[in-house]
Amino acid sequence: MRLVREVISFAAILAVTSLAAAVLVIAVGSDITKALNSFFAGIFGSFYSLTEVLVRATPLILAGLGVAVAFQARFFNIGAEGQLYMGAVAATWIGLYLPHLPIILHLTLAMACGFLLGGLWALIPGFLKGQFQISEVINTIMFNYIAINLVGILVRTVMTNPESPLPMSARLPDDLHLPLMAEPTRLHGGLAIALGCSVLVYFFLYKTTWGFEIRSVGVNPRACSCAGISVKKNIVVSSLVSGGLAGLAGSSEILGIHQRLMEGISPEFGYVAIIVALLGKNHPLGVVLAGLGIAALQMGANTMQRRTGVPASISLIIMGLLVVLILGRRYFINPSPNAAA
Amino acid sequence: MSLLSMQNITKSFGGLYANKDVHLTVGKGEIHALLGENGAGKTTLMNILYGIYQADSGSIDINGVAVRIRSPKEAITHKIGMVHQHFMLVSTLTVSQNITLGLREKGYPFTDRKLVDRKIARLCDEYGLKVRPSDVIAAISVGARQRVEIIKLLYHEAELLILDEPTAVLTPHEIDSLFNVLRRLRKNGHAVIIITHRIAEVMSIADRVTVLRDGQNVASLDIEETSSSHLSELMIGRRLETLTRPVTASGPGSETPVRLSAKGISLYGETKKILDNISLDIGRGEILGLAGVDGNGQKELAETLIGIRKSDDGQIILDGKDISHLGVKKRKGLGVAYVPDDRHHDGLILDMDVVSNLMLSTYDQSPFSRKKLLNTKVCREHATKKTLEYRVKSSSVKAQVRCLSGGNQQRLILARELHGYPKLIVACQPTRGLDIGAEAFVHKILLQQKARGVSILLISADLDQIMALSDHIAVIFEGRITGVLKNDGKLELSQIGLKMAGLTGAAA
Repeated sequence: MRLVREVISFAAILAVTSLAAAVLVIAVGSDITKALNSFFAGIFGSFYSLTEVLVRATPLILAGLGVAVAFQARFFNIGAEGQLYMGAVAATWIGLYLPHLPIILHLTLAMACGFLLGGLWALIPGFLKGQFQISEVINTIMFNYIAINLVGILVRTVMTNPESPLPMSARLPDDLHLPLMAEPTRLHGGLAIALGCSVLVYFFLYKTTWGFEIRSVGVNPRACSCAGISVKKNIVVSSLVSGGLAGLAGSSEILGIHQRLMEGISPEFGYVAIIVALLGKNHPLGVVLAGLGIAALQMGANTMQRRTGVPASISLIIMGLLVVLILGRRYFINPSPNAAA
Repeated sequence: MSLLSMQNITKSFGGLYANKDVHLTVGKGEIHALLGENGAGKTTLMNILYGIYQADSGSIDINGVAVRIRSPKEAITHKIGMVHQHFMLVSTLTVSQNITLGLREKGYPFTDRKLVDRKIARLCDEYGLKVRPSDVIAAISVGARQRVEIIKLLYHEAELLILDEPTAVLTPHEIDSLFNVLRRLRKNGHAVIIITHRIAEVMSIADRVTVLRDGQNVASLDIEETSSSHLSELMIGRRLETLTRPVTASGPGSETPVRLSAKGISLYGETKKILDNISLDIGRGEILGLAGVDGNGQKELAETLIGIRKSDDGQIILDGKDISHLGVKKRKGLGVAYVPDDRHHDGLILDMDVVSNLMLSTYDQSPFSRKKLLNTKVCREHATKKTLEYRVKSSSVKAQVRCLSGGNQQRLILARELHGYPKLIVACQPTRGLDIGAEAFVHKILLQQKARGVSILLISADLDQIMALSDHIAVIFEGRITGVLKNDGKLELSQIGLKMAGLTGAAA
């Protein structure tokens, strides 16, 4: 019975979103078949388009993993965007101002510092939540503004490129680049790091005592404190790991794609990561699948816009709709969650 | 003709009866006490009267006319008002604004505040309720907030006032003035229902009393025809089945070496002491029963002993070692086990599986994990073994604990907490809500542990259970130990009952 309801609910969600997409396409006066064709061409049309989906999925998976780890501990980290930018700052800094290192060591150090600074950025709201029960939702959002605008200041002042009037840092040394995996496409080693991280996060969450504590605290903190598991410690640990993974997303974008720090390197990866974690049910494997799916949706929508003029923002509308439907789904499966008082 | 008559009220939640064929009749100018233990169905009955719940069957007559009350709003039109245990006030608004909240006064939305304030002042004078209409709720005391709630009802012209555990949050002095207010209300023809589990209050303020037990009527009596000890007997009740406590080698008596010693433990709440200078000793292989009506500090004492709460005063000594400053984990490591009263919130993680719940205290010990790495295979085997040993029935060890029955959930907690040979078990209401079979199993396990020399603090509102299992019985009332009695077979239930009601002086 429950299984039947699950299947029906997912079919219903699929139907509603498809219908909404179709209505939107028709509303802008476009042809459905043409729109659909260009949508799928944007994903599967060529080897290049496929690799672009993977390039897009890389930061989504990394930041999505971060959000998932936090959500498992019931630490609602809305700040992956800011943590991602801080990771980008750290990676650029290490790349620019620590010269004369073997490349492998230099790359590793840059990624590690990206993890660290992103983690620290989430650790502050994590500590405030653990110690004083201050809402992490508000704080992580506020830290997004701070991080994003800090990047704006950095690329105009201390980290700016003196040879260019544009607000951006100098370019990293050419060889300081995550290995390209299928030249001439942009597919880079970040994807391998993202997939590796999803295995590590799975291992961390489900095979270590740390993960056991984090998952337990997320489901019932009260029972955990009765059993002697520190709720505070686990919120802090999960925030650190969460921010670190989002930070990795930022460093991987710098070292794999942009090669320099500038504003707007993230088209809201950090926010979309929340949707990725939600769709992936906070499970590392689910996050990988959801990251790929959302990336495909976005790339398809971009191509659709170029070829048929249907605005790419249709993908945002569909994502928003998906989230609402998925959150509402549980009331369909379990209609009366609190009948008795 | 009575003001209120509730007949054959029945209400069940998920197959469990909260009220079964309950009758209640209240006349004009009467203070009627609704007496019963926690979970006896008092609040459910009143929530039905106030329209928060709908009865499954039964009828409500007001002034002889049958009515249906579907919401608190309808209750108010029938001139019924209720003061909940947790006040329903907006703390950032003034007294006067809170009182008129939801009302459309003359001139609304441009209410004439001065006119309202004058009306409130008049009500305050009439009933001796000291409150300033312009004060902000956040700035006034708990007692004053309660007075605001009462004025709110009078302002709404309620004729029948329901007060849910009104004295629970008050100091003795405030209780006196509340009772004076209630007497004035009675004089002016209002009817008052007060929900309580305190017998002394019933005797001092009520005209009539209705006793509920396990959701059913036990008695409705005039105060003149009853007594404290009679009421305590009615409220607590007796069960026919008796348990026999086997005499063990390490049997009862103070001659056994002390395992746990609590010395002068105090815990301060916002308005009063939750625990007041509690000193208890438990010997090896001894069961100390802690009797008392729910909410007199039992749970707080248990949590202090376990380390979830830190006491403001006093020492906890386990086997000669001061453990007062250790956290929960360290205390558990020293052999303290905890069976909490609230299985669903404190004891288990309902949305996780049997395996995870079984290792909630031991996941970080060998062989369940080494160097932070979980050994899932060992954990699963352990779970299979324990579920067999403690007869936990579940479809598999990977099943969610939510799907288990209450009895099986409790067995699961026992299996976890008794793993690794504890020295002390703090068992808080260990059989609450369990069926007879599961209850017997819990009793058997506790006695087995006692035979092994484990010391047990058995906190229970079930006096029969305490009488049957304990070597000594301590009684707690309002955070104080009102007496420690030796359970030598000559003990009378009424002796404990009176101490539970705080009547230390009056010997039975």
